[in-house]
Amino acid sequence: MQNAKDSFYIALRARLTTINPERTILIRGAVRPGILVEEAEAPFGQLPNDVFILRWLALGVDMDLASTMAAEDCEILYQTCGTQSFGGLDRGRALSEMDEEVLAMIEPFCTPKLNYTATPPAAMLTQVFWDEPAFAPIVVLRDKLSRSARVTVYSYQEQGE
Amino acid sequence: MASTWFCAPAPVARRARAWFAPVNRAAQTPTLFDPSEQGAFNPDSPPSPWVSLGWIQNLARKPLSKSSPILTGIPAAPFEQVRETLEAHVSLEFLSWTKLTMALATGSQHMNLLAPATGGAPAADGAPAAPAVVPQSGSTATSILLAPTDAAKFTPGAIVAVDVDYTGQTGFLGTPVAGAYVRSALTDVNYIRRITFNLAPVSQVSSSGLTLAEPLPGGAPASGQKVQALLGFVDREGGSFYQEWSALFLLEGSQRDRIFFYYPRLQTMIGAEEATFPLNGKNQIGLARIVLKAQFLALPVTDPLDGERVVCYRSFLPAPNALV
Repeated sequence: MQNAKDSFYIALRARLTTINPERTILIRGAVRPGILVEEAEAPFGQLPNDVFILRWLALGVDMDLASTMAAEDCEILYQTCGTQSFGGLDRGRALSEMDEEVLAMIEPFCTPKLNYTATPPAAMLTQVFWDEPAFAPIVVLRDKLSRSARVTVYSYQEQGE
Repeated sequence: MASTWFCAPAPVARRARAWFAPVNRAAQTPTLFDPSEQGAFNPDSPPSPWVSLGWIQNLARKPLSKSSPILTGIPAAPFEQVRETLEAHVSLEFLSWTKLTMALATGSQHMNLLAPATGGAPAADGAPAAPAVVPQSGSTATSILLAPTDAAKFTPGAIVAVDVDYTGQTGFLGTPVAGAYVRSALTDVNYIRRITFNLAPVSQVSSSGLTLAEPLPGGAPASGQKVQALLGFVDREGGSFYQEWSALFLLEGSQRDRIFFYYPRLQTMIGAEEATFPLNGKNQIGLARIVLKAQFLALPVTDPLDGERVVCYRSFLPAPNALV
């Protein structure tokens, strides 16, 4: 299942660098694409603005199949206060821009499954695939707008996983 | 140790895609689909002459062939089976309204609503049309050259029909797509352009002609063909003509496995019907998407491989690396 989670994250990250290469984050001294996996970073006191955070939630499995299918819920969290140059008055537009980037990153709805513990990453036999995102309502906290989108990511367990 | 194969569960697909292609009605010759040679095609670029109809939903195949046992002995017990009738139905919903999806989802001929002539008497399927214009030599599938006075009759965004004049023919009309069956000669010189599928929208108009937003399905205008603007489409409940097309449906699995349903001959079997789907499941009386419902009767062809009469071919191309 970790390979599916890694493959989903790397696929979205690669797509984001094409969709909006300027969405980046400086973290541990390195500039990286603006999408992170929460469980793979140091705990956040407060989620960073203007980047996407992937949070893995529920897990379901269907074992009555030739290969076990795993369904993992991924919540994509993002928030913004807009830009300083506009005094935050563009925060609605900034959030809409992130909504559109989520939609663009999600499609196509599949990616090859790779094992990222190997160097270079080793291609596996199956594809990771997912459904349309379900967007939650905007949450307003003073000058901050935040939203989450939930995606169920499916994968088949391969031998050795 | 790295594995090289996996056990593939049943395919998981999002929706089905559909392509249709003309049947030569006079010769009852369908368009062929060969999954061995064409099965790996890019869904966005189907092999000619298949026309994409995009995503469809609620695809349902209903085999209605009947078999009966041959009984022997006392007491009678089945000895053998025979196929008494060969029949299958297909139903689906198109998620877009286009010339072709409307035509396929109506049980009769589907007509173009030609731009009317000034002062023409009103008619339910369109008033007498404004005269057609003649394309100049050098026209292509995407560029129609016209005399300046003719070009001035069109505007960007219009749709044009390109086909020949009707000159009293009877039988199946339209090439390569039969759009109507005429039993006795008519008087409307524009009748073939009313039922033609050779349409394209106009993206630009200049004094030398029209630039089309997409190629004419029939290619460059042939000798004798004329150009006419149309405003939309109209079909009727009733009539004696049944649309017949070759159909190809694809369920593409999550693991790149593919299930094809190829129907060499499908005839529309119900009249025009729509279904509505609320955009928000919690608000059943709010905005709703209107989709075209279609139901088809599969007609048989004789498979040259062994002479058997069949109505459908189902092909399965397994996922790469999947055990079979």
